[in-house]
Amino acid sequence: MTNELVDFTLVSVALLCVGIYGLAVKRNALRMLFAVEIVINAANLNLVAFARFVPDSGGQTLALFSIAVAAAEVAVGLALIIVAYRMYRDIDVAKFGTLRG
Amino acid sequence: MVTAILGAVGVALPVINVLRRESGSNMFYAAIALGALAAAISYVVSQVAMGTVAASQVLSGDVVADDLLGAFFAIAMLIVAVFTTVSSFAYMRERRYPAVYYSLILLSAVGMVMVAYANDLVVLFVAWELMSIPTYVLAGFNKRDPSSNEAAIKYFMFGALASALIVYAISLAYGLTGTTDIAGVVAGMAALDASLVPLALLAGALFVAGFGFKMGLVPFHMWLPDAYEGSPPPVTALLAAGTKKAGFAAAVRVVVIGMAALSVDWALALAIIAVMTMTVGNVAAVMQKSLSRMLAYSSIGHAGYILIGLAVAPYSATALPGSLLHVLNHAVMKGVAFVAIVGTVTALATAHIDRLRGLGRRMPITAVGITVSLLALAGVPPLNGFWSKLVLFGAAIDAGAAAPWAPWLAIAGVLNSALSLAYYGWVIRKMYFEDSGGERVREPRAIIAVVAFSVGFMVAFGVYPEPLIQLAQSAAPASLMP
Repeated sequence: MTNELVDFTLVSVALLCVGIYGLAVKRNALRMLFAVEIVINAANLNLVAFARFVPDSGGQTLALFSIAVAAAEVAVGLALIIVAYRMYRDIDVAKFGTLRG
Repeated sequence: MVTAILGAVGVALPVINVLRRESGSNMFYAAIALGALAAAISYVVSQVAMGTVAASQVLSGDVVADDLLGAFFAIAMLIVAVFTTVSSFAYMRERRYPAVYYSLILLSAVGMVMVAYANDLVVLFVAWELMSIPTYVLAGFNKRDPSSNEAAIKYFMFGALASALIVYAISLAYGLTGTTDIAGVVAGMAALDASLVPLALLAGALFVAGFGFKMGLVPFHMWLPDAYEGSPPPVTALLAAGTKKAGFAAAVRVVVIGMAALSVDWALALAIIAVMTMTVGNVAAVMQKSLSRMLAYSSIGHAGYILIGLAVAPYSATALPGSLLHVLNHAVMKGVAFVAIVGTVTALATAHIDRLRGLGRRMPITAVGITVSLLALAGVPPLNGFWSKLVLFGAAIDAGAAAPWAPWLAIAGVLNSALSLAYYGWVIRKMYFEDSGGERVREPRAIIAVVAFSVGFMVAFGVYPEPLIQLAQSAAPASLMP
């Protein structure tokens, strides 16, 4: 196995596409949350892979920050989804219909 | 310094709440938050007034730039945060968890100010998240109200996607240039190997998409009307007038400067987005029944006007000052419009345009606030909105010498302003020339204070706009002027 930079980049672009596809197609709030996480992790993979090949190690710092921040974001997102579940007994975003559009 | 004050108070508020072991007392926490914001804003304004702030240090290489560009955006955002806090004096009365609420507003204000000053992509990202995460919670703050929750979930999904795209764009920029410092990235982009330019373009497009979600540019605007209508109205003021401007602050630092460095013709792409944004926003606003939803669409339209300045920035020296000016003016105009909605929601429990009939008699001061801000938004001459639109459209016409398509932006802007005057006029007619027969209602004093301040601001800088234009001109980064 070789560890070329281009391999990491291809995996990361593939993850980006999976994430955006998931967010565009899925209507389950949890699945949409997963899709966002996949995009963030694609970026983290990119950052760490680039930091391996670039003289500056700032990318690893940013990857750590982004993991921590993503955890905070998920906490808020799950809280909102739990509140929605208590009201609707469902987490299908298509059924949240109090606002038009 | 500013962020230290706000951050310390923002973290201290919930602690005070636990120590006091009691609930309620909205006034107490609001007063603390307002004091912190007032201290912060007076610090920034005094620094600017004393002239100790450097003009523009976008390429200085510092992690946080202490420059006029940041100070200009910081003033606009802090004004909005003050509006939100003051109007919450009225709105949060009788509601629970005031300490958490004001703490979140302060933390989000810290994030916005940091975005304005950030000069490194890592700082920019962390500040962006610090700004966004509290607003997701604030949007869903009325947790028994399904529409508040729905607004929060939509806002959260798109906001989280936006920040994910921004991290991805930062990772690409870092990989291509080997640094996260904006000056280093710009230098690296300028010296980029030709075979890597497509990747740089992808990074740029992801930046535009990520910032564009917050700014409400057109392909990325779907969440915006729902989020603005469903959120508690003071929070909507913060979203529409505050976090949206942070998107522009980040875009000025990253996109416009990167665009100049990369020397690829992005300007046309931004111009097309600008025209689509203002047209979609204004056309959709005509059909709205709810005042907050109408203002949400009009706020999409105004994002289009501001984007004109970013699009023609490489061709005209007055384009970026025009954008900055409109950012500040729009923050005040839209801020007071949503604060007036807080007034109607607390006093009459509605923001529906049909139920605002006779508002000129029932709540005269709130009605004056709505009227003046709507006229300023439409760009009627003696008000401040006119001058920023004049500078923006003038810059687009100037740029016609270098870019033949640029004057069309000005034409589209003028047509859209005329259209917007039509639906603003309809609201004003409902308020003054139709009668509902209701009694006069007592208006909350906090709303009166905000309306008085901003009507003064809009008229004063409408009659005498020179100082603001000067400030915007010195704040705009000069390095990309031809």
